[in-house]
Amino acid sequence: MLMPRKVKHRKQQRGRLTGAAKGGTTVTFGDFGIQALEPGWLTARQIEAARIAMTRHVRRGGKIWIRVFPDKPVTQKPAETRMGSGKGNPEHWVAVVRPGRVLFELAGVEQDLAQAAMERAIQKLPMKARFVVRPGTHGASEVQV
Amino acid sequence: MPEIVLEAEVSRPLGSSAARRLRAEGKIPGIVYGHGTEPVAVAVVGRDLRVALSGEAGTNALLSLRAGGKTYLALARELQRHPVRGTVTHVDFQIVRRDEVIGADVPIVLLGEAIEVHHGDGLVDQQLFTLPVHARPADIPTSVEVDISGLTIGAVIRVGDLSLPAGVSVDLDEDMAVVSGVPPRVQGAETEAEGEGAAPAGGEAGGDAAGATGSGDQEG
Repeated sequence: MLMPRKVKHRKQQRGRLTGAAKGGTTVTFGDFGIQALEPGWLTARQIEAARIAMTRHVRRGGKIWIRVFPDKPVTQKPAETRMGSGKGNPEHWVAVVRPGRVLFELAGVEQDLAQAAMERAIQKLPMKARFVVRPGTHGASEVQV
Repeated sequence: MPEIVLEAEVSRPLGSSAARRLRAEGKIPGIVYGHGTEPVAVAVVGRDLRVALSGEAGTNALLSLRAGGKTYLALARELQRHPVRGTVTHVDFQIVRRDEVIGADVPIVLLGEAIEVHHGDGLVDQQLFTLPVHARPADIPTSVEVDISGLTIGAVIRVGDLSLPAGVSVDLDEDMAVVSGVPPRVQGAETEAEGEGAAPAGGEAGGDAAGATGSGDQEG
């Protein structure tokens, strides 16, 4: 699973999930992508599950890009622990996702296969997401109004 | 290249709220600048802009922008898009002269089928999707076509191999790869990668256990 090699601080505050993504909103490397439509935290496990779902469906050929990285530690207190005594222990890593963010990209396969594979991957994600095509290709308009 | 006529309103109200109201009316706020002129805030009808930029020349279409009794020869440059909807939220129009050389990004279109790559279960890896070119506005090509029917696994088509029309130059490194034939993924490497994915999961489970012990200590 994806996780940072080393971090400056072991624990982080939770932060806010308001607004839309500031960058990474276009399909840049491949031909097709998965775009988040809701904000949320995407765990390293979910990223891995989505990647495996896509890889297994595509089988041969195709290249996958993961456009998000889980660099935020999430802490949890153990079960049946009294409150207090400081912040819990880092348990897993998440990527902070805001609406519009392209999460995965895929190239080298037909559109139908890419869509089917990405729809399987979307099932593994904790937020609403959609299949997108690089603008100007596969009949997608460059200028939408 | 004949220019496309686009009507624009001048003296639009400025500010984010006013721009939002404009967009609700189906208009797109924009700005006209270039050649030392004072920037003019304009608004164009969204549908007209889409028609103008969906022609053969795409987003590099030469526009005859009619705004406030003046006609500007312009190109639509930066198109700002909504992060989720993908709709154009703002457009820059740069005033150009017919005789000046300007920069533009031209889409690269792959032609044909890389039969040898497909037979070898390889992948056609396109690394460059647009080509930054320098040309007079009328000479900007609509697209640069690359024939990949002769592409083999391990072969690379580079910027220097592209055939460009007269009057068009590229300032990229000639050795930069445009498209390449990539060998198939090795089955062993694939399973290894998945195995690698599983290993930290086990490690994390160990971390959980350690965390539980640690908290037990805290509780005690």
